[in-house]
Parts: sequence; structure tokens; C-alpha cells
Amino acid sequence: MKPVILWDDFQPGAPLGELTEVFKPTLAKAWRDIFGHDNAGSRAEGAGIAVAMMMRGYLGVVTPRPPGNVQARQRFTLDAPPQPGEVIHTVVTCLSKEIKRERRYLDLEVRGTGTGGRSIYRGILSLIWAA
Amino acid sequence: MSTALHTVALTADPEVILAYGELTDDMNPIHIDPVYAASTSMGGCIAHGTMSICLLWESLFRSFSEAEWLRLDLDVRFIKPVRAGETIRAGGEPREGEAGCYTVWVRGDDGADRVTGTVRLLHEEGQA
Repeated sequence: MKPVILWDDFQPGAPLGELTEVFKPTLAKAWRDIFGHDNAGSRAEGAGIAVAMMMRGYLGVVTPRPPGNVQARQRFTLDAPPQPGEVIHTVVTCLSKEIKRERRYLDLEVRGTGTGGRSIYRGILSLIWAA
Repeated sequence: MSTALHTVALTADPEVILAYGELTDDMNPIHIDPVYAASTSMGGCIAHGTMSICLLWESLFRSFSEAEWLRLDLDVRFIKPVRAGETIRAGGEPREGEAGCYTVWVRGDDGADRVTGTVRLLHEEGQA
């Protein structure tokens, strides 16, 4: 079993890992169960799936995590909606870390690209790491 | 566009939070296990933070022409957690003097911000 990833383990500038995942129908269904099936195929759905892919990428790569992490900020550049069946490649990188007011802050970049390397999104998660 | 964004609402019922957990593969018990969540400093289940961002997408995309895909930059802070069962509303207003830029927010039952920040619409050149 892999050890829990601690704040000390993060190195600014260092890649953390990659994840490749298909935009499956189950993801669209889950989105529609929340935001409505009359919104199926909408632009908001495409944008929502992009955010979901970002979170799936982060959670899939940066694991196992200590309990109690908090997300303080989200920056997100939305370039294009992922297409059903498209293979999304996610890369996670540590951008920076610092101690502020006795809290362990991290900025992690999560980039998602699709077919032919086209940019889907670029996210920066600003996290307060628990340990 | 120079008017406020459409305001949209979502109730963060436990079923909705569970569906979001399935969507994001985030089954942290703080979101879906009321017994566990009650034992934490949160005192109960909370919704995933990025679910509020998805609600902001609803607000944004409903406010613009159907023919237009929006490339955009979002920058928001999570102010306060959304409690399970709470109804949240997302909306925004244009920022004066900043074309294509909006102050956006997600507010809870008490009218207070849960998420706040900005969205900047990008043109083809990557500039607002």
C-alpha cells in the first residue's frame, strides 16, 4: 500500500502523475441526474464534465491523501467541451507550496487534453493540505 | 452583454451530492456519510466545492446565446461549505469597466456567499 502523500512530499515544479480516461456515458448520466435531463448535451454539461474530469484526474493521481484537506481556491481555464467517447489525458503538476498563517498551502495544476492533444481545460487547485 | 447573469438554483440533497461524488469519483465520507461527517468539525455532510462551479456554468451558459461556446477563465474562492440539504443559487454581474468580465457568486439559504470570484470570457486570441 502506498504511503499517504504528505505536504513535505510535494516539490514545486515536479510532475505528480498522469491519468487517461474516456468520457463515458455514465459521467453524462451522473451530471444529468444533478442538473436535469432536459439539459442533456448542453454547453453547461460540457463545461461540467470538464470540471469533473479535472477532479477525477487530481483524485486519481494524488492519492492516497491525508483526511481533512480543504480546497481554498479554484482557477480554471475552459477551452473546449470534451466530446462523448473522447479520451481525456490529464497531467498533474505541483506548481508551488508555502506555509501561510501556519497552514500548508499547495497549488496543483491539472491540465486536460483530448483528441490530437487539443486543450480541454487547465485548472489550478489551491489546497490547504492537512498533513 | 451588460446585464446580470441568470440566477439558477440547486438543492444539495444527499442524493445530489452522491451523484456528484459518482461524477467526480470523490466519495470522501465528509460528503456522503452523515455519521462520519457529524463527528468532524463540519458537523454534518457538505457538498463538493466544485459542484458550485458547475452551477455557475449553468448560470453563465444560460445567459449567453445558444450558438456561442464560451472559452473562459474562472477564479473563485471557497468561502464557506454548502451543507447537505441547502439550496444554493448561482449568478453574477458584469464588472464595470472590464468588458467580458463578471463577478460571480454562489449563495446559500442565508444569502451569504459560499463561493465568490470572477469569470472572464476569452476571445479567440485568448484575450478578454
